[in-house]
Amino acid sequence: MAAPSDLNEIYLSSSPHYSAKNSSTGVMAAVIMSLLPLCIYGVYLFGIPALITIITAVCSCVVFELLFQLASKQKIQIQDGSAVVSGILLALVLPPSLPVWMTILGSAFAMIVAKAFFGGIGANVFNPALTGRAFLFVSFPAAMGTWTLPKNAQPLVEAVTSATGGVTDAVTSATALSVLKGADIVKDADTYMNFLLGNRAGCIGESNILLILLAFAFLAVTKIIDWRAPLAMIATVALATFLAGGDVVMAMLAGGLLFGAVFMVTDYATSPITTTGRLIFGAGCGVITFLIRQFGGYPEGVMFSILIMNAVVPFLNKLIQKKYGFVPAPKKTKEAVK
Amino acid sequence: MKSHTFKGGIHPPERKELTEHLPIETVFPFTNSVSIPATQGGAPNTVLVKAGDTVIRGQKIAESDAFMSAPVHASITGTVKKIEFRAVTGNIDVPCIVIEGSGSDETAFMESLDPFTCSKEEALKRIKDAGIVGMGGAAFPTHVKLNPPKGKVIEHVLANAAECEPYLTIDERTMTENTDTLVDGVAITIKVTGAKSGLIVLEDNKSHLVSTLETAITKSGYTNINVVLVKTKYPQGGEKNIVKSALKKEIPSGGLPADIGCVIVNVGTLCAISDAFRLGKPLIDRGLTVSGGACASPKNLRVPVGTLVGDLIPSVIKLNPGIVKILSGGPMMGVAMANANFPIAKNTSGVLFLTANETDLREENQCINCGKCVTVCSCRLYPVMIAKELEAGNLENAKKYGLMDCVECGTCSYVCPAHIQLVQRFRVGKQLFRIDMQKKQQKAEALKAKTAELQGGK
Repeated sequence: MAAPSDLNEIYLSSSPHYSAKNSSTGVMAAVIMSLLPLCIYGVYLFGIPALITIITAVCSCVVFELLFQLASKQKIQIQDGSAVVSGILLALVLPPSLPVWMTILGSAFAMIVAKAFFGGIGANVFNPALTGRAFLFVSFPAAMGTWTLPKNAQPLVEAVTSATGGVTDAVTSATALSVLKGADIVKDADTYMNFLLGNRAGCIGESNILLILLAFAFLAVTKIIDWRAPLAMIATVALATFLAGGDVVMAMLAGGLLFGAVFMVTDYATSPITTTGRLIFGAGCGVITFLIRQFGGYPEGVMFSILIMNAVVPFLNKLIQKKYGFVPAPKKTKEAVK
Repeated sequence: MKSHTFKGGIHPPERKELTEHLPIETVFPFTNSVSIPATQGGAPNTVLVKAGDTVIRGQKIAESDAFMSAPVHASITGTVKKIEFRAVTGNIDVPCIVIEGSGSDETAFMESLDPFTCSKEEALKRIKDAGIVGMGGAAFPTHVKLNPPKGKVIEHVLANAAECEPYLTIDERTMTENTDTLVDGVAITIKVTGAKSGLIVLEDNKSHLVSTLETAITKSGYTNINVVLVKTKYPQGGEKNIVKSALKKEIPSGGLPADIGCVIVNVGTLCAISDAFRLGKPLIDRGLTVSGGACASPKNLRVPVGTLVGDLIPSVIKLNPGIVKILSGGPMMGVAMANANFPIAKNTSGVLFLTANETDLREENQCINCGKCVTVCSCRLYPVMIAKELEAGNLENAKKYGLMDCVECGTCSYVCPAHIQLVQRFRVGKQLFRIDMQKKQQKAEALKAKTAELQGGK
């Protein structure tokens, strides 16, 4: 008897035949969702220039990835949304007033040099957005150190901002921490509140601490990111700052620490996959951030700390926990030989 | 009652509601003919019959002298029509004995044997003679499992009633309908292995069966059998996971459950053990779940071993259009078949007809390194790293990340957002690793021989 199944198109494949139907696009969509409030707030703070920077970065990242895939005759994979994520991340760590052509150049460097040259999605060694930013940072220090004050910045904030010369990676003034340690800043609840809400000069997306924490909670609860690395990084910076006698709260609120910890340290391709590896990765980022802030020539160390630790990831991936039923190689044999 | 569990795992949709309330339907005598694979677990058997022979239900028709083997019996009374090669689960062509039924209900069972007075050797021989193999899927000869190597003391018998595969409900139904047989099977297994206690381990989605089981245990008078609940989570029913959950012990890498004093036996197998002693009945029938979105009549069936699934269509199994996969076994570890004309063997726990919605036909994308597979791995391995090392051709490193410890449960492939066929890659990887080991061994031996030759020449 011929089975009616003969009428159907039957597929053969290896098990499992069941799937959670997750997709890379879905993961990227969730990350984009978590970044949107920061984008909107950035535009609210800094106005049209911020909007232009964000749109330029996203569009050029997607276009550059597409162009590279076309030119190298690879499968077109821009629909996975990772270029959009890189574009948003890059825009959010740029000063709002950056010239459009510089944003495009940074996007090109991020997508082609940092990502595509290494093999594209999942294969890149260095975080594309941060690499793009680092490229702009060393190429155009002046433009990258020009900060716009939020439209509705209060005088107090202005004072702080001018004193710190823009808290993030500005090269034109002394380091954020050294200035903050000085007595010329009124460290009261208002200052902290303004920093918490991001009502200060800085990069487009890294200033509103509350929104970043919200995004962190969302991504951690939906298990899109692991909480370990970000927490390890923040805890390490806090501890180091405390031991060095600095202002721990300001070290948390100022600069790009939280944004970097939540969105850059957790980048899939450039962070370790083992839990121990992630803790060490986060702690390493924290230590280097602190060292650069405290002793380095730059006011902010988040970007370079993450890029430096990116290079260590392949080694951290060798730190594996105890596998099921794993019995450590018996030391008895050694004694037996003796 | 507290549920125990292990680290990792997934919660796929269970879809057991399709069949869990349906009593097992015995389809016998129904089929005119059966195609019984000559070997179903263990070393290859020699066929004992030839075309034209008359065989009786329960008669041995294929066996092997090897210790690691299990004989096969005629599941219906009739005439041997031919011995032909046909595709079985796994899509390999193996010799099958085709028997045409005569409609007679004559049987040729063995004498019943009291497992509590006979010797261990007699008991193991009976289990072998009954052709009992692991009915959960592995088809490992049960008499071998119950006779661990010297020096290994068995303390616990675990009745594996987790049934963690989605769709499948045959173990649940067997427990509901044949509770006493199951308890008897556990008691016999405890006796044969000399274990101290028996644990019936089930997922907490079947917690309603706890009282049924406990009543049957009390009635039977065995005080050393207990019911243990474990969390409903895939792959709770895997050997490595069930011992971890129920006993908090881990089977050493490359070892056997016997290394930690356990034997783990499936519910169906335990019932078969009981039948082999009490009724003298060899393993010739089995229950299975027929289900899936493209199956219009999902049900639990009991059929003679060797029944072709295709023969049950459409009188017993009714199908809807839209089938994209025919599976022998569950959706996580079952085997996709090219058509429904394959025999139900001793280890076929289910036959599923899946629609495109239920399965995943997407192609592989590039790995995004998210590490989801690491989080869910039921053996705490590093699937993404194994896959990368395999791609780089570095078998040694792949082993360090756990290649050879993989149980192929499929949780990593299940969650992968790039839908990479990790399990398939690991299967290939394991083969490559074994070949590599063999080659290295041969090289070492050749070198040794050459050294000996040179030294001899001096």
